[in-house]
Amino acid sequence: MKTRVLGLVAFLTVATTTVIGLLVVPADLNQGDAQRIMYPHVASAWLAYLSFGVTAVAGIGWLWKRDLRMDSVALAGAEIGVMFTFFAIWGGMMWGRPIWGVFWQWEDPRLTTTALLLALYVGYLLLRRLTDDPERRATRAAIVGVVAAVDIPIVHFSVEWWRGLHQTATIASPDRVLDPAAPGIFVLTLLGTVGAFTLTWGYLMIRRYQLAQLSLAREETARLDLLMSVRSAEVAR
Amino acid sequence: MSAPIIEARIALAIARKDAVAELRGRHATVSTLFFAAIVLLLFGFALGPDSARLADAAPGLLWLAVVFAGVLAVNRLHLLETDDGALEQLALYPVPRRAIYAGKALGGVAVMLVLGLVVLGAVGVLFAVDIGSAWAPLLATVVLGAIGIGAVGTFYAAVTVRLRAREVMLPLLMLPVLAPLLLGAVKATAAALAGDPFGELGAWLQLLAAFDVIMIVAGAATYGYLLEDG
Amino acid sequence: MDVPSFAPFASSMPQTIYVSPRSLGAPDTRPPSVDTTDLSRLFAGSPALAGVSLRIEAGRTVALLGPNGAGKTTLLRILATAIRPSYGTARVDGLDLDRDAGAVRARVSYLSHATGLYDDLTARENLEFAAVMLATPDVATRVRRALDDVGLANRADDRVREFSAGMRKRLAMGRILLGNASLVLLDEPYAALDADGMSLVDQLLSAWHEVGVSVVIASHTTDRLDQYLDGRVTLGRGLVATVSGDGVNSTQPSLIRNARRPAAQPIR
Repeated sequence: MKTRVLGLVAFLTVATTTVIGLLVVPADLNQGDAQRIMYPHVASAWLAYLSFGVTAVAGIGWLWKRDLRMDSVALAGAEIGVMFTFFAIWGGMMWGRPIWGVFWQWEDPRLTTTALLLALYVGYLLLRRLTDDPERRATRAAIVGVVAAVDIPIVHFSVEWWRGLHQTATIASPDRVLDPAAPGIFVLTLLGTVGAFTLTWGYLMIRRYQLAQLSLAREETARLDLLMSVRSAEVAR
Repeated sequence: MSAPIIEARIALAIARKDAVAELRGRHATVSTLFFAAIVLLLFGFALGPDSARLADAAPGLLWLAVVFAGVLAVNRLHLLETDDGALEQLALYPVPRRAIYAGKALGGVAVMLVLGLVVLGAVGVLFAVDIGSAWAPLLATVVLGAIGIGAVGTFYAAVTVRLRAREVMLPLLMLPVLAPLLLGAVKATAAALAGDPFGELGAWLQLLAAFDVIMIVAGAATYGYLLEDG
Repeated sequence: MDVPSFAPFASSMPQTIYVSPRSLGAPDTRPPSVDTTDLSRLFAGSPALAGVSLRIEAGRTVALLGPNGAGKTTLLRILATAIRPSYGTARVDGLDLDRDAGAVRARVSYLSHATGLYDDLTARENLEFAAVMLATPDVATRVRRALDDVGLANRADDRVREFSAGMRKRLAMGRILLGNASLVLLDEPYAALDADGMSLVDQLLSAWHEVGVSVVIASHTTDRLDQYLDGRVTLGRGLVATVSGDGVNSTQPSLIRNARRPAAQPIR
């Protein structure tokens, strides 16, 4: 019941911030309407990384506590995360095209790091798919998730250095609007969108977790049924 | 004998065992080297014949060849343990898992080192690049790169050892993680060859070193979990 | 401890076998070598073990019998810590398989169908490697002795790739001799062996029994084994069907529907 309320609230806040972001907030002086993409783009990116962090931490939780619920959290994080990662990249490309003139800019550390994040997520999910036994799956996934999570900051730094050492003044940084001197209305809209998206994320995570748990429970019931029937048959002899 | 020394003995015994078996039986190293050479040739066809362009691209081509051949090499190394259930037996010895990882990784790094040095030489010849002038930083780059690929590769080889579709999964998992190493190694190589005009060589080498340390620690800490069957 | 030979037909066999001198103490003072509760293991949804509750006291030599698919190999592999159970618990020498797997490995030797030998290494090199892994003292001496004891001294420097199945098995037994086990698990030890090889197994069984090492042997038949056995356990369809003999006990698997999963695993 509480989850439904969360879902409703999330939906409403997303709707509200969408309206505000598209219609109420003024367009950026320099970038025009294209700048509006920033709101969902930044929100998606934040959630993409948050999800990965959750997946990694939940994986450690599994290795430590051997509780399959942790693995369900990790799975939820990975699936929801890959979705938001995709949105973030898509948004980044759509935003970049009018600003940079191209869909992709290698020297933007966030875009390239997020692309790599997508690759890591996909590898993680494929790996999960290839293992049937729940515990082996959880262990393999946890380990891969942790190493991937550790890799992300390294990637980010390396791409930043990559850019920093090749000072090209022609890159108009899309996030000038994020500097502290920006008008309050932009910042508020951004925060509102991030908040709305985060609520949505929370709702989706809970639902996906519940689905994963149901699936596990069903598997477990089947296994126990089988064991108990074999045992009863033998005892009845 | 203190614990670290025992672990080192075990790791060295594993590495030595791998080296002996590899030298005697598999010839995987040789075929991997040939593969790398062919890759370089293909690069030449794809990007040539303008030698200036090739010389410019040389650092990238070098490390791409090393990374791709490295995936093959790492794959072959873990196949060493498929002899009649050898990996399961290895997991049954009462030795710390870290030590097993260290031993297997040592083997991986050694192979990558040979690979890196040979490819470096080949690139010098094929793409008209003067490696002699900057041999020291180039050597450092190859060493650090070899350690990184070896450590990461050993780790993911263990992850995929009993997986369906492992030929695809190994590179699919390994390569994204190696992205920063690739970036750093290429940049360091380029800087070294150009005489380090911006003074960035040190920073890239540090990045490589940091990558290596982090990945080795992560691999050693988790290898034990990978050896347990379900 | 040297043990007199029990094999009158052992022509090329040595007269004594060096079984490591771990001082094990009197069997009655030791915890059970095997103590399982509702041990179960499923593979791809089908139960190889459905609930084995078995206790084998220390110092006993016990045969694990039953048709193919009864779960003998699975049980041995779980006790060897090669695989983990799906449900239930087990202790070896009083040590929990889940929590103390490392300590269990130090006390258990397992001879499976696969020999775990490296084809490209020589017999001696294989054993030397194993000796380092097992922390055997006096590696060179012990390896030489083990090769002698299993009758492979004259092939010590040949590569295992050239060995027959019987010779590989003997080498694997040589590896066990390098260890310090208090529980030896043998999966069909007589398979693929010639007369001399089988005598070797006989000698090992006597030697182990003499020093108080527990032995569990999975086998189809007991003809040759009978003289060495303290007890017998028969498995069927993943459960214990019958037990007999000294030092072996089993109970019915629990019918309460909350089969316990193995406990949490500490980082090791």
